[in-house]
Amino acid sequence: MSVLFSSTIAEVAAQPLLDEPEQIGFYGFNDEIPEVLTTTRLRQPKTRVPGTTTVIDGEMIRDLGIMSLVEVFRLVPGMVVAEVGSSTPVTTYHGTVHYEQRRMQVLVDGRTAHRATLSDMDWQTMPVPMEIIERIEVSRGPNSAAYGINAFLGTINIITRNPADTSGAEVRVIRGTRNYTRTFASVGDVNESYDWRLAYEKRKFGGFDYQIEDDERTPFNDGHDINTFNYDSRLKVNSRFNADIRVGVVDGVNEEDRYKNGELGATGDPNIDVRDYYLQTQLNFTTSQSHFFHFQVSFENYDRRQRWPISIPESAVDCLANDVLVFHRPNQSLCFQPGGTPLTAEVNADSEDSRLEFELQDTFLFSDDLKLVTGLGFRKDTYRSETFFNGRGNNYQSRVFGNIEYTPITWLTLNGGGNWERTTTTDEGYFSPRVAANFRLGNNHALRFVYSKAVRTPDGFEQNPDYGFTLKNVSPGKYSAYEGYRVESTAIWNNPNLVTLGRDLEEERIISREISYFGLFPLKNSQISLEVRVFKDKLRDMISGVIKFDDWSIDNNVDIDQKGFEVEAALEYPGTTIRASYGYLDQDDWYNGAQIYYDDGSINNHEKQYNVELLGRLSAMHSGSLALIQNLPFGLKGSTAYYWADRFRNSRFERIDFRLAKRIFQPRYSAEVALTVQHYINDEPDISTDNNIEDQNQLFLEAGIRF
Amino acid sequence: MAVRSLTWAAHIFILVVLIVLAGTASAQAQNNDRSTVYLARSGNTALDQHIQTLLEKSLGSERDLIVISDEQAALTENAPIVTIGPGAFSRVRQANRNAPILALMVEKDFLEGFARRSQGRISGIYHGVPLIRQALIGKAILPQATRIALIATTSTAELYDTLIGQLSEYNLEARLFVVNDDKQLIPTLIRALSYGDFLLAAPDNAIYNPRTIKHILLTAYRRNRIVIGPSQAYVKAGSLASGYAPFPVMAEIAANYLQVFFEIGHFPEADYTGIFRVEINQQVARSLNIPLAPPEKIIQTVEQRLESREGQTDE
Repeated sequence: MSVLFSSTIAEVAAQPLLDEPEQIGFYGFNDEIPEVLTTTRLRQPKTRVPGTTTVIDGEMIRDLGIMSLVEVFRLVPGMVVAEVGSSTPVTTYHGTVHYEQRRMQVLVDGRTAHRATLSDMDWQTMPVPMEIIERIEVSRGPNSAAYGINAFLGTINIITRNPADTSGAEVRVIRGTRNYTRTFASVGDVNESYDWRLAYEKRKFGGFDYQIEDDERTPFNDGHDINTFNYDSRLKVNSRFNADIRVGVVDGVNEEDRYKNGELGATGDPNIDVRDYYLQTQLNFTTSQSHFFHFQVSFENYDRRQRWPISIPESAVDCLANDVLVFHRPNQSLCFQPGGTPLTAEVNADSEDSRLEFELQDTFLFSDDLKLVTGLGFRKDTYRSETFFNGRGNNYQSRVFGNIEYTPITWLTLNGGGNWERTTTTDEGYFSPRVAANFRLGNNHALRFVYSKAVRTPDGFEQNPDYGFTLKNVSPGKYSAYEGYRVESTAIWNNPNLVTLGRDLEEERIISREISYFGLFPLKNSQISLEVRVFKDKLRDMISGVIKFDDWSIDNNVDIDQKGFEVEAALEYPGTTIRASYGYLDQDDWYNGAQIYYDDGSINNHEKQYNVELLGRLSAMHSGSLALIQNLPFGLKGSTAYYWADRFRNSRFERIDFRLAKRIFQPRYSAEVALTVQHYINDEPDISTDNNIEDQNQLFLEAGIRF
Repeated sequence: MAVRSLTWAAHIFILVVLIVLAGTASAQAQNNDRSTVYLARSGNTALDQHIQTLLEKSLGSERDLIVISDEQAALTENAPIVTIGPGAFSRVRQANRNAPILALMVEKDFLEGFARRSQGRISGIYHGVPLIRQALIGKAILPQATRIALIATTSTAELYDTLIGQLSEYNLEARLFVVNDDKQLIPTLIRALSYGDFLLAAPDNAIYNPRTIKHILLTAYRRNRIVIGPSQAYVKAGSLASGYAPFPVMAEIAANYLQVFFEIGHFPEADYTGIFRVEINQQVARSLNIPLAPPEKIIQTVEQRLESREGQTDE
């Protein structure tokens, strides 16, 4: 017998019931599945970015067997990489000078990474092991609105892996020719409230094999042995607030060669002892789905000890005593006579500079179509150097910036931003605007038009040097009066006529216009992405000339027009990735500074031309790369990359790299062994005749394991 | 004399009423046995109501869909009980070992064992889509993909057995990374992501649950890797896509299964719905610069791949 039940059918409510179940709870009954990849966490798609950016993944850096951080930039269209001095790496977008390349902004996790007062970029001592790089974003073109002044030619933003992504342990060891050693180890953990990672890297390299000194092959003391420690952590207080805390130390030696960098008759190599450290914290607040802001504080200290012994002939000491310019050519026979008792002493180019930086950045999403980013920044650069500044001093910079992104119609996004900044190196304020329009043609294509202006202000050393070497431990006894004596640049000028010391330098200016296109082409079995950038830039009042102890001739004296185009393309097939980049740069430059004269009063066109040429040292007309990454059978992965730049002065850079790697996947760990070969296609040294490598084939063997 | 006839009429009246009642009762009893379907709910009101309405529509007017509680399930005899969710299934089973149950909103690995042991009496429409379809959805979105990363615990590893066997026919390969304890999840995930072109998630609560999904999705995203699955619900969280069986289709098929049960006394074999759709997270796709075809096109591509492979095996 069946029993009748009361039906609850009548209870079926008036709730609108749809066939589309989006609004109804699903499988995770009564569990709340959080929304993880929210608008605030997602990166902007390339079709919406108001400018051309090249992104290089950490994975690609490893797959191509790139052996030092600076070499990554060979993959960026329009960028070149070279070595100057004692194997000091230099890289830039759109060329200009090779020494003291200071026209790009470089950031590591939002922290400015170039030296504080000698705004030089020291790539050898960068506190970033390549293994912890998540990606590198290169914003090509000036963008002060986002990155402050000195984002002149472009900005490099190195983003390290989030500690939440690196829990576990990893070790990697690489050995190569020319005494190349790289050892990396990291360990980290993740839990409810705290993620952290500690990483260590040793990188050692012998540099070039030999230099040419007096037509003889001479050993080149240009290697380095650097250790870095990094501690990155995130304190997760609640869903609305978390704090990133980072600490790092760099310790080691950067070898410099006495023939290249030894001033005042160096008798020993002026190696640099490096001891840098940084502390950084970023407090991230998310007040709602549409509003978040962060406050960042960072402090960096660059401590460099550079000491070397010198020997000054007696005749030169006499010249000094009699106020005769020691290095002035006409005085050469007088000041550099053989015989007599040389003065030996020790000099130093020690410097310690620090940077204290604050930044507050606020992002407000009014709607899907209207976004406002605003911020404030403040920076204090402190320099301490007996040699470069004869004491200590400070420079201050403060800035206010903002950018509004507005999408009035689905296919058009407009961006308008500006940076207002004031610096004490020139005691002036500057406004750098940037406007961009993105036309979206369908879902996968965009056409952009960008106009931006930026300035680069002279750094503390360019503007206010007080260059002199203090003699210490002077011997023999007859020179004891010179103990503590400061040999100033003014006493030894090479070319007194060309000296510009004391002139007030002004800012360099750039106006950039860009038309660029980005497109994704999905095909049946593959995907193609293509980005083309066409640009026309005017660079005015560029600071050119020589910055040396015995030669100081910098001034705002060169104007440059640059135009050209760049292409970046990638083709991804199953198991195969091909990537190509190419940059064409047409540079027109001319002298536009104060008149320069010879001693006899006639116009010195040679020197004027030299100043112009200096700013073309790295402006290669053609540069590019072609890379292929291929999955091979037996768990192997092969890659090859071809890099070239044509030309640097008189040489063409051409190299092809090969890498073969075997990956092993075991239940508890993954391991990899790999062999990389770098083959220099021509044997001409680049940039300088001293940059010589004996063997055109350089080998590297690596082994790594991850738990 | 009048009283006597009145009494007679009353007797007849009562007799007629009794006959009618009896008739109705037996008719009712017959109706109860023939066309009543019971429904055991999950407790998630919105979900339950939605499925209930769809079932009613599909069952039509000759059948009654009656909601029962767990205790009432003990007394249903031979009438089929439709359960929503694994919890309801387990409770009903416990209350009544003999009842015929059609389980909805359950995963294959959950129901398979029961369905095999009580073939015909226990059946269900599996929630979600077969893993091979999820894999092909991934391949349709990333045509250049060849390697699929899989993560499981030692006990849930078998979820992927069928899939791994099927993949070679589609020029895909997969590797299973096993996680032994909670602490190992992220390091294992990192290693898996460095192997695979994308991560395929089966409905494995041990690995993919509201507590762990945040870490998994963020880590994958930061490494430019997409996650397919585990189910439609996770797409809103940040999985790039997942196949799903539309509720109306599920209700239709459930009604068919019940029809078969009433006609021949047992259910057809438990299976997935043949029809499926794809839910996609457009925002994540755009952010990763992945060009997306419309969902219908993706389904079409998947169907084509499945058919062309079947064609091959026929030869």
